[in-house]
Amino acid sequence: MNQAQIQIDRVSKVYRRDAIEIPVLREITLLVPPGVFRALLGPSGSGKTTLLNLMAGIDKPTSGRILVGDREVSAMGESELARWRAEHVGFIFQLYNLIPVLTAFENVELPLLLTRLSRKERREHVKTALSVVGLADRIDHYPRQLSGGQEQRVAIARAIVADPAILVADEPTGDLDARSADEILDLMRRLSSEYQKTIVMVTHDPRAAATAQRMVHLDKGVLTPATPHEMMDLRGVRS
Amino acid sequence: MKFFHLVWKNVFRKKTRAFLTMGSIILVMVLIVVLVSLLDALAGEAAMGTLGASRIVVQHATGLSNFLPLAYRQKIEQIPAVLGVAPEIWFGGTYIDQRPEHFFGQLSTDPEIWPLINADVAIDPQQLRAWQSERDSFIAGQQLIDRYHWKLGERIHIQGSYILMDLDLVLRGVYKGRDESNIFFNTKYLENSWAGRSSQTGIFFLRVRTADDVPRVTEAINQMFENSDAPVKAMPEKEFNLQFLEMMGNVKLLVRSIAIVVLFTIVLIVANTMAMSARERVGEIAVIRALGFRSGQVLRLVLSEALVLSLLGGLAGVVVAFPFAAFLVEVMKRSPVAPFAYNFRVAPLTVLTAMAISVVIGTLSGFVPAIRSSRISIVNGLRQVV
Repeated sequence: MNQAQIQIDRVSKVYRRDAIEIPVLREITLLVPPGVFRALLGPSGSGKTTLLNLMAGIDKPTSGRILVGDREVSAMGESELARWRAEHVGFIFQLYNLIPVLTAFENVELPLLLTRLSRKERREHVKTALSVVGLADRIDHYPRQLSGGQEQRVAIARAIVADPAILVADEPTGDLDARSADEILDLMRRLSSEYQKTIVMVTHDPRAAATAQRMVHLDKGVLTPATPHEMMDLRGVRS
Repeated sequence: MKFFHLVWKNVFRKKTRAFLTMGSIILVMVLIVVLVSLLDALAGEAAMGTLGASRIVVQHATGLSNFLPLAYRQKIEQIPAVLGVAPEIWFGGTYIDQRPEHFFGQLSTDPEIWPLINADVAIDPQQLRAWQSERDSFIAGQQLIDRYHWKLGERIHIQGSYILMDLDLVLRGVYKGRDESNIFFNTKYLENSWAGRSSQTGIFFLRVRTADDVPRVTEAINQMFENSDAPVKAMPEKEFNLQFLEMMGNVKLLVRSIAIVVLFTIVLIVANTMAMSARERVGEIAVIRALGFRSGQVLRLVLSEALVLSLLGGLAGVVVAFPFAAFLVEVMKRSPVAPFAYNFRVAPLTVLTAMAISVVIGTLSGFVPAIRSSRISIVNGLRQVV
């Protein structure tokens, strides 16, 4: 599955806290075509991250179906989901989430430990991934020895090393300065255009959203068209 | 195996904590190895060898404080399978002063029979003959020679306290091998000087043909003097030695109780370390779960960390236990429990037991944190990432 379409069909998500039900997503229907870079915009608490988690298979919908490629992710059990994520999903987090006691190489190697690749093959894959993000010379550096932008690039290398069809990114530039953020967004654009990855990125930042080919807006758990203000922001950024 | 590197790095994530926890495991392992070896020594016949198993001690039925008629010797010698009988008296005098470091066994015996009964110790034949030929001479264990630097021909003075007469003896020989913390001198020295008790002895120490003869001979001796004025209690040498420890109470139960309490404590300490380590990594564990690690794999990773930590501690503990045990043996040789020092050795089975115990410590202490880590909700865990 080098390219995957994400199909979300009337998905709702309700969290329960004691006896109180908190609806987070309401009857969401969305299609992310294969190889498309899509941004998910919306205010805090709108359900962006929840929708991203559902697409990535780390959470389950209360109702509705999620299909990625020809697999119904929402119907998979825990173990099957874990295997599916290892093969098909790459994660990019706002705070990079690298393991501090592992070097850049070892962090990127983590997903490959779940494969049948030999040590030599794993080494080659890791080197390739770190070259793609421009950090081949930082292979033995620990996260504390890297800048924020470099850490996020290592995280991207970790996300792509197993060659997944889908990349999910939750505010990937949220903790970076403008220059580093631009580098990361450029990199993600390349991953979409050159490597045909299907990318879904949650962001508050209109500049980041402008990098994506398409944009979806969430508000109070419902998909809405982008607001005129957001559209103006986007036009301004793109021009 | 490919996950071992990850486990190793996590074990030493916080080096101070890891080394302190390992240190506590090392201490426990040293204690376990020493205690198990001590129990072995108490129960053991290894160092006593086959000869030890064929020796019998006869004492007064009511205890060591009562004496036995010397005339019993001839009767005991008549029992089939008895090879030799030596009367012995515990002199219990004071050498130099009454400080514990100057304590050692001072035993009167028959120098002619002594080599037969103690065939498992080594003594130069010339020195033995010199001791046998001089009534006021003595032989000493190598440990005492090393402690006091006595020279052959040197005279020592021991002040009597338990038996109210003094000893003035000349060193004629040195023996090596078993219980080197005693001196032996001729019973006749007491017979001539100890008014009123010349026809009595403290115990009889005898050797029978084989270990199989011991039950029959002890039974025969007990029956022989059952209805006399001085009934006796005959017992194997090992049982006689254990009496002294039993005076202090049920030593084995005490030792086992200490070991169990210590083990329970260390399980709690390591479990606390593992729980802290796992709690600090909720976010990281959520990340690796998101990357595709299954809950069973996370469980095995965290459990492996506890196992590696406790096995490393166990291994280091066993290594440290050897020199510690050697030191302990040296101390024991200079104490009233010296006979057991010669039985004291760290057996391969003890080492295996210690390593098995460290596996148990690792498993018990890592189990709960591992279960908890494997059940972490990915979504909740990711929220905790800082």
